[in-house]
Amino acid sequence: MLKAWRKSFVLLILTLSLPALVFADTVYETELEFLSRAFTDSPPEPNLLWLSGERKSAVRQLLGHDYSALRLRYWCQVGRSAWILDEIGKELPITVGIIVENNYIKNLRVMTYRENRGGEVATAAFTDQFINAELEESNRLNVRIDGISGATLSVQSLTRLATMALYLHTESNCSNES
Amino acid sequence: MNLKKLRASKARRLHRSLGAGAAIFVIFMVLSGLAINHSNDLGLDQRHVSQSFLLDWYGLGKPERIQSFAVGDDWLSFAGSQLYLNEKPVATISDGVGAVSNGDILIAADSDELLLLDHDGNLIERIQWEPIGAAPIESIGLHENTMVSVKSAGQLWLADTQMLNWQQADDASPGPLWVTSEPAPDGLQESVTASYRGEGPSLERLLLDLHSGRIFGTIGILVYDLLALALGFLSISGLVLWFRSRRNGKPT
Repeated sequence: MLKAWRKSFVLLILTLSLPALVFADTVYETELEFLSRAFTDSPPEPNLLWLSGERKSAVRQLLGHDYSALRLRYWCQVGRSAWILDEIGKELPITVGIIVENNYIKNLRVMTYRENRGGEVATAAFTDQFINAELEESNRLNVRIDGISGATLSVQSLTRLATMALYLHTESNCSNES
Repeated sequence: MNLKKLRASKARRLHRSLGAGAAIFVIFMVLSGLAINHSNDLGLDQRHVSQSFLLDWYGLGKPERIQSFAVGDDWLSFAGSQLYLNEKPVATISDGVGAVSNGDILIAADSDELLLLDHDGNLIERIQWEPIGAAPIESIGLHENTMVSVKSAGQLWLADTQMLNWQQADDASPGPLWVTSEPAPDGLQESVTASYRGEGPSLERLLLDLHSGRIFGTIGILVYDLLALALGFLSISGLVLWFRSRRNGKPT
């Protein structure tokens, strides 16, 4: 009898804590982990890129709205740049780490996912589609990114961020190093 | 007086008392119902209640505390999870530690990040503290009046002029001036409190909640249910009394 009560109590606690588990931020990679992956040697010092003037307008065009900050920090080493960018999925920002090399995407990975639906965009099966993507003259990716049903907004957010990272790479000092 | 008459007299008295009691309720329901029906024409959906007790009643309470920091000619204030530049809400922040200005940039610190703002309140950058120092930020201050400094786990960290790189200072370095919250001017405190509480529910919403009894929660709805049943009883008892008087050939 007592065992049955205990079991019920544990089940109740688990059920009550389920929403907290579902809605918690999922951190896939920290900044330090991302940088040590991007630069096998010790990560370089960060640089700054201000989003002002024409650059701000260009980013607005790529995202469909202003970026949430006025300046971005990025890391650059021998033509390779690493960017940590945020973009709203449906309601909450998705943090994405993007590595650009010689004007193509070397790697893209979701670092923190905060929405309660659409987390499938963090899987390698989805993010690997961005590898080797380049920016066309029309400021679009030269590859077709297949969507995920139920995660359309997150897919669009990641696609916009990939486009933005490629544009920012061309604007940074890093593109001159390649 | 026989038993029948006594009963009839009791019923009339009950009908009268209930009727008198319900009259106030009925008048209120009629007036509030009319106002709700014409709320758009009367502009009730555009007007908001700002009375403190009503905002409290709706759960739009005051912030537990407001911490304000003078940053040049401006004030940065933490109220709940909101950061204000003067009276303008500019960002959300978890638990404000302090705020300083290094001239061009305003810096607000909470335990795990630094927010860089321009003098219009635009967010320049959010700097996560975790990759820099493992422990949470305890204090923020200015070293030699220019260099932004942070204390984390008792250690002193100094930023470069662009707030791009941070270095741990040795113990021999002279200590920076840590900022502490100051009492903001009265007008500013009131503005921040008002902004924190929002503009309050519309008059239309207040009337709807009064009309339905929802403003008093579940008890209010139950009381309104009882009053509605009383009105139903009054209609029936009125009809019964009327038929009875007709049958007896006497006016009620």
